Amino acid sequence: MAGPLTADTTTAPVRKPGPARHVAVTVLARTGVVLLKRAVLLAVLLALVFVTVELLPGDAATATSERGESAADVERRRELLGLDRPVLERFWDWMSGLPTGDLGTSARGERVTDLLSSAFPNTLLLGGIALLLTAVLSLALGCWAALRPGGRVDRAVSGSATAVLALPEFVVAVALVLVFSLWTGWLPAVTLTDADGSPDSWTMLVLPALALTIPQAGWNTRIVRAALADEARAPHVETAVLDGLPPHRVLSHHVLPGALPTIAAGLATSTGMLLGGAVVVETIFNYPGIGSVLASAVTDRDSPVIAGVTALAGAVITVVLLLADLIRDWMAGGRR
Amino acid sequence: MNPRTRGTVIRVVPALLLVAVALAGPWLAPHAVDAPVTAPYAEPGADAVLGGDQLGRDVLSRLLAGGRELVLSSLLVAFLVTGTAAVLGAVGAVRPLVGRIVERIADVLMLLPAVLGILLVTLSWPGGGRLAVIAAAVALGVPYAVRLAAGAAAPVAATGYVESAAAGGERLWYLVLREILPNLRATLLALFGLRFVAAVYLVATAGFLQVGPQPPAADWALMIRENSPGLLLNPWAVVAPSFAIGLLALSVNLAAAALAPQTGRKAVPVL
Repeated sequence: MAGPLTADTTTAPVRKPGPARHVAVTVLARTGVVLLKRAVLLAVLLALVFVTVELLPGDAATATSERGESAADVERRRELLGLDRPVLERFWDWMSGLPTGDLGTSARGERVTDLLSSAFPNTLLLGGIALLLTAVLSLALGCWAALRPGGRVDRAVSGSATAVLALPEFVVAVALVLVFSLWTGWLPAVTLTDADGSPDSWTMLVLPALALTIPQAGWNTRIVRAALADEARAPHVETAVLDGLPPHRVLSHHVLPGALPTIAAGLATSTGMLLGGAVVVETIFNYPGIGSVLASAVTDRDSPVIAGVTALAGAVITVVLLLADLIRDWMAGGRR
Repeated sequence: MNPRTRGTVIRVVPALLLVAVALAGPWLAPHAVDAPVTAPYAEPGADAVLGGDQLGRDVLSRLLAGGRELVLSSLLVAFLVTGTAAVLGAVGAVRPLVGRIVERIADVLMLLPAVLGILLVTLSWPGGGRLAVIAAAVALGVPYAVRLAAGAAAPVAATGYVESAAAGGERLWYLVLREILPNLRATLLALFGLRFVAAVYLVATAGFLQVGPQPPAADWALMIRENSPGLLLNPWAVVAPSFAIGLLALSVNLAAAALAPQTGRKAVPVL
């Protein structure tokens, strides 16, 4: 996100002249509405996840039962984990714990927050790098293609973007490992962790991040290219061209700012794909993120952990969508 | 045949061929898919053209057998998603209240990364197997598809003939099935292609995460997961299924792009 956001500050369109305080209040109110809407959507998603997990056949108490354990033992642990209380009460407890960072207790009695506190930052790092790479790559390729509409570069960029956007991340990862680890030996194929549980060296981030970036870059390059083409038809762009400004200046000062909301929305949509893809890519590279936590949670049928990961992922996506909303609102405010 | 049509045919044919081979694959396999014929991770030889996998089973036979379920599941998902989205979008265009509710639900489901959603559903339905994956893929695909369908249905619903039919007291299902949906054929065909691409991605990823087909089933994604420890001994056991999935995703995607209506302005497809 840093790409489009910082690129924008220098090219803000001229605002409507008027009382500054009035404008500030309007912007603040609009921001509040957007914030509230996103918060409500996230709360509804969390309720949905909780109910889905609730409808599980079997619960955490039976999933972690040991061989030879009596039904009374399982019942006792169910009581201990609070699973005998009504659903609504537990949902309320879980939801009210969220603002304080409490995600509940896993089926094995560990705090979910502790389980995820070392893994989630690693996944965020990987996803963040991939999002940044995607933004830079798709903006660069999209602009390069847009400067020569219909030319050989344009066709090559659009064609290869279309070709890679549908590839599953694990297929890309296998190809990358084959080329960069096994044949050339330039980059490590597995991630080793140091004492505090983060990757040992930056070289171990390259292949996982690339495997995530390549499909998303294909997807976003198409969005950037199309958004630029749409914006290029605007009358103020035509004026700039008729004024004889050089193409790269028209692109950076007149076309790109207007196309920004669409580009930001495209990148925001990619965040969910990146987080989901991270789970897969982490499995291949043995990267110490939520992927491995999820994998063991799936075998344990450990629903609180899965719900916790979904809550965190939903929160991250909400924040990124919020940023995209604000960019759109801000640009729209500047236009009038 | 004019040049546009010929171009479309040229881009659609590879996908059709590949799908046909994947569907017919199990009958072409030279060996049984579940019996060892070579040493584990044996290199390609006379009796096994692509070598053996981690249990010494013939990679070529498993490759030929491993695509049918992936393609069939993906086709089913694409069909169900497109159908559901088309009906919901058309109903939403005629009944604004329904449209708003559908839109809000789509907003919520978009906050759920597809891969996490698949894990959630397969977890809550442990015996579901393929069916659970298909159900999850449909539930996660509809929110994206319904936007495109609703966007295409809105102008049709606003045309005079639909309004006059509605004023004439026609029932909702008549308006949706007879008046609106037939006019969305091109959009829905393109949507079907895009949803097929997305379904291949999701079904393959579920297979890779081992929440869909279980061993010893022959499945391309599962083959990649199972055989990656032997990548150095017999790379073909991993490379061949990766190549197959990549080729399927690519050719189907090209076909979908060729089928998309050329409206000029809106060049961004909604996956």
